[in-house]
Amino acid sequence: MGLPLAFNVELFTQLLVNGITLGSLYALIALGYSLVYGILKLLNFAHGDVYMIGAFAGYAALSLLGGPLSPNIALAPLIILMFLAAMIASGLLGVVIERFAYRPLRDAPRIAPLISALGVSFFLQNSALLLFGAQFRSYDSFVLGSKNPEFFEPGPLTDPLFVVKNVNIQLIQVIVLSTTVGLMVALTLLVAKTQLGKAMRATSYDREAAAMMGIDTDRVIASTFFIGSLLAGAAGVMFGLLFSQVFHFMGFLAGLKGFTAAVVGGIGSIPGAMLGGLLVGLAEAFAGGYLGGRWSDLTVFGILILVLLVRPSGLLGTPAIKKV
Amino acid sequence: MAEKQPLFELREVTKSFGGLRVTDGLSLHVEAGEIASLIGPNGAGKTTVFNLVTGLYRPDSGQILFEGRSIVGLAPHKITQLGIARTFQTLRLFLNMTVKENVMAAAYGHTSSTVFEAIFRLPRARREEREIAALAEEKLAFFGQRLAGYRHDQQAYNLSYANRRRLEIARAMATNPKLLLLDEPAAGMNPAETHELTELIGRLRTDGGYTVLVIEHDMHVVEGISDRVIALDHGVKIAEGTFEQVATNDRVIEAYLGLQRSA
Amino acid sequence: MATGGDIPEVPARPDEGDRPRVGVDEWVASVEDRREERAGIAGLARRVDDVVPSWARLAAFGAVAASLPLWMDRGDLFAYGIFTLIYVLLGLGLNVVVGYAGLLDLGYVALFGFGAYFYALLSSEHYGIHWPSWVTFPVVVLSTALLGLVLGVPSRRLLGDYLAIVTLFFGQAFVVFVNAANPTVRGQGLTGGPNGIADIDANDLFGYELTTRRQQYWFILGVVLLVLTGLHFLSESRTGRAWRALREDPLAAEAMSIPVNRLKLMAFAFGAGIAGLTGCMFAAVLTAVTSGNFALPILITIYAVVILGGIGSLTGVVIGAIVINVSFQFLAPENPQDNARILFYAVVVLLLVIGIRPWWRLGAVLAGVLALGVVAHTVAEAVSPSWTAGAVVEGGRLSGVVSDWVIIPAGHDRFAPAAYIGLIVAILALTRIRGWWRTGLLIPTVYLSAIVWETSFVEQPAVARWILFGALLVFLMTVRPQGLLGTPRVEIV
Repeated sequence: MGLPLAFNVELFTQLLVNGITLGSLYALIALGYSLVYGILKLLNFAHGDVYMIGAFAGYAALSLLGGPLSPNIALAPLIILMFLAAMIASGLLGVVIERFAYRPLRDAPRIAPLISALGVSFFLQNSALLLFGAQFRSYDSFVLGSKNPEFFEPGPLTDPLFVVKNVNIQLIQVIVLSTTVGLMVALTLLVAKTQLGKAMRATSYDREAAAMMGIDTDRVIASTFFIGSLLAGAAGVMFGLLFSQVFHFMGFLAGLKGFTAAVVGGIGSIPGAMLGGLLVGLAEAFAGGYLGGRWSDLTVFGILILVLLVRPSGLLGTPAIKKV
Repeated sequence: MAEKQPLFELREVTKSFGGLRVTDGLSLHVEAGEIASLIGPNGAGKTTVFNLVTGLYRPDSGQILFEGRSIVGLAPHKITQLGIARTFQTLRLFLNMTVKENVMAAAYGHTSSTVFEAIFRLPRARREEREIAALAEEKLAFFGQRLAGYRHDQQAYNLSYANRRRLEIARAMATNPKLLLLDEPAAGMNPAETHELTELIGRLRTDGGYTVLVIEHDMHVVEGISDRVIALDHGVKIAEGTFEQVATNDRVIEAYLGLQRSA
Repeated sequence: MATGGDIPEVPARPDEGDRPRVGVDEWVASVEDRREERAGIAGLARRVDDVVPSWARLAAFGAVAASLPLWMDRGDLFAYGIFTLIYVLLGLGLNVVVGYAGLLDLGYVALFGFGAYFYALLSSEHYGIHWPSWVTFPVVVLSTALLGLVLGVPSRRLLGDYLAIVTLFFGQAFVVFVNAANPTVRGQGLTGGPNGIADIDANDLFGYELTTRRQQYWFILGVVLLVLTGLHFLSESRTGRAWRALREDPLAAEAMSIPVNRLKLMAFAFGAGIAGLTGCMFAAVLTAVTSGNFALPILITIYAVVILGGIGSLTGVVIGAIVINVSFQFLAPENPQDNARILFYAVVVLLLVIGIRPWWRLGAVLAGVLALGVVAHTVAEAVSPSWTAGAVVEGGRLSGVVSDWVIIPAGHDRFAPAAYIGLIVAILALTRIRGWWRTGLLIPTVYLSAIVWETSFVEQPAVARWILFGALLVFLMTVRPQGLLGTPRVEIV
């Protein structure tokens, strides 16, 4: 741990870029938490593991298409297919989880869905361990798309797309950021403009009243889970592309931080999740860079505690007023 | 002769939620030993008055005095211990506890045996337990056969609606209050139960010695019990007096019916 | 018997939904519900719970538990006896916070860890401090209680879910702190990092050291009995009642003169104190502590203990601890696998026996499963010997039968994962189907489960344990959220 004596612009910019990239991931995960909490007032502790399954699904798609060292198709469709595989797999998994682990508990005491979610989390993590084994699987994103992958010649993903203040902004980082922005825009439009979005908002305000207005709340809730999990799956693939390693335990810490992001931004609020994700990503990057790697997690936790004590509804959330 | 101090009073109390002003410079008082009613259309701010008095809300400005002392800013349980107890408009019983336990729980504030004494079953703790149990039985007996005998060990969620309302009153009584605030005690009751309730409220004063402030919509009840009626509308007091005076007051009629009496 | 005129039909028992309540006394009207509650094994347990007075139950438990060292060997006593008692204590402590006061504390295991580590710091070679137990116990218990109090302070402002999050993060922060942060104090890492602290002194009873398993067991048992007694009296006191009221409806409780915030802090402190006490004994028994002893899976296990028996019930916690720990130890990787195998098949058969009503249907299913196995095995072998060439893991009594009945391939790597996923799909489908289709689907599902067991689970028993545990939690919550001895609660949502 050593604070830089002079303000190093290069380090700062690098950390900024890393933070924004990381923040995109956390924002996507946070959206899943926020959407589900908004509609069911449920903290979906299994969400991080859905993210993990998404990463593995992307890996499975990669393997099926020949694996990183001998891909059968070009880079662009490869990545698109990986994303699709992950998003669909995660989305469906989310729907299944909701159907079997949460729906029967709609009217049960608050602790029941919480414990059920933790049970699902254990189940998913250890199932991944059983099926894929303990060793880390690698996307080998370093060589993806290169002309000579067997010689470990780097592919285009890590090429700098442009340079800011001496810092490389890699292609993969741009892909991650633009995909995230695209997904968020799509989500915002969905919630604001479509029939489903309106139904989602109505159900989140008052489930019984929405049902009485003819909204199929079960379908709406299932759709919400699908969308939230789909975003998490996308985040999983992004993680694999950025950091290469996927492993069964990756959902745990990412889930906690995505969760922090959702709470910091105001759980139940979509722009809040985005803002929160950005803040958490930046905090982690800067803490890791300036204070040392082992303090980055604790810094994130500290931010959560601070926000909860000072402004429990989060930065963009609305404080709940109870009518007595 | 010095003016007798009201048991409790609000002076120029204002409370807003966001942009909505729920009470606006409201002043009212209740004398010791009287039964007063608080009436007004929905949204007039009646339950808000209860919430302000019992400490659930804090007034933006104004004073709330109980026995001459300000109670603004005190925690709700402290206010109850000073002698103000209430029931809730939407019924908030301890549903998974038995009838007797509901009432016994409310006796916490005026008992004092510590955790230490409880764990080691010291005589003082055992004696206090017996006293609390006796107190609960006494309060439940107030309702005659309704909450007697086998009912004591029933879970509260097994009770009928009318019995739940009675239980809530019994529970409030167990805090040994001087002032009882009853929030729409007759809501949802049929005429027979309403009649019984009217008698009960009278007995609360004569047998129980409580001062009672009741929020009610049912004018039969209001007429039957009130020494004094206070009418609110939009957070402001619009009339005060006996039932006849208030019931024939132009502003009150307008607030409820929205019509002007033609000249 | 024929009489003149029409005899009106005895009306059929009314449907649940349209039984009239108007004008009928509720006590009489609810007689069906009460009869229902008394039925079955859970009903029997509840009747015993009601009829047998608490002191008799305590004495019976104490007598049975005390006799354990007389017929168990040291290893079993450690795993089955001591560990069960540890979980009983942890469950009792958590029960005060969650069961009595209704506060969702997901960081409880960190308090346990704090107690253990603090005891280790005060009684080990780590810093060379060797305080006697009559000093360390009070010091650790009180400081853990204080820490619990601090943890509870945010609870005054936070609603249930947020409290869960904050405490969960506290639990995580503890593990990270102990593992990674490990600040250097007096020349060495305070918490020993990933290696933890070793060479911890045994507990001593005013100088008399408790070094053998028997001595430790009886000591912990004594503590358990004392804590049970104290908590029982506490629960019946005005404080216990106030906690229950607080759990029901904090707002109403506060309006009824109950100092809600003070009681929340008291619950946290009490639960934490018990956790600290347990930590002292745990550290001494294990003689070494690492962060892995206090991670999330342990927390969930403690929750499972409390929930299985029914939140708020002392008897329930004891039963929950026994069931959970015994099953876990039975399935431990160190234990010979034929134990686990027999247990697995026994449990499957037991579930079928309990679940399938008419005897002939049960027989049909069992016969179908056996037949399917034989047929499938024969067909697979005929297709290619490699399909059944896989070795049955770890001999044992059933291995001969199993190798001729279950398809265990050698070399077909995709088979095991596919079977596993197939099993999950089949089980989920079972919950959605009714009638004859369900009975029919049951047969291949049972066979599939045997395949999955033999090809995947026995090879990775540690992982299998957690998979089954997670599935059990979900199953338990969806089927019976109030636990074995709990009564269904009415909640205001």
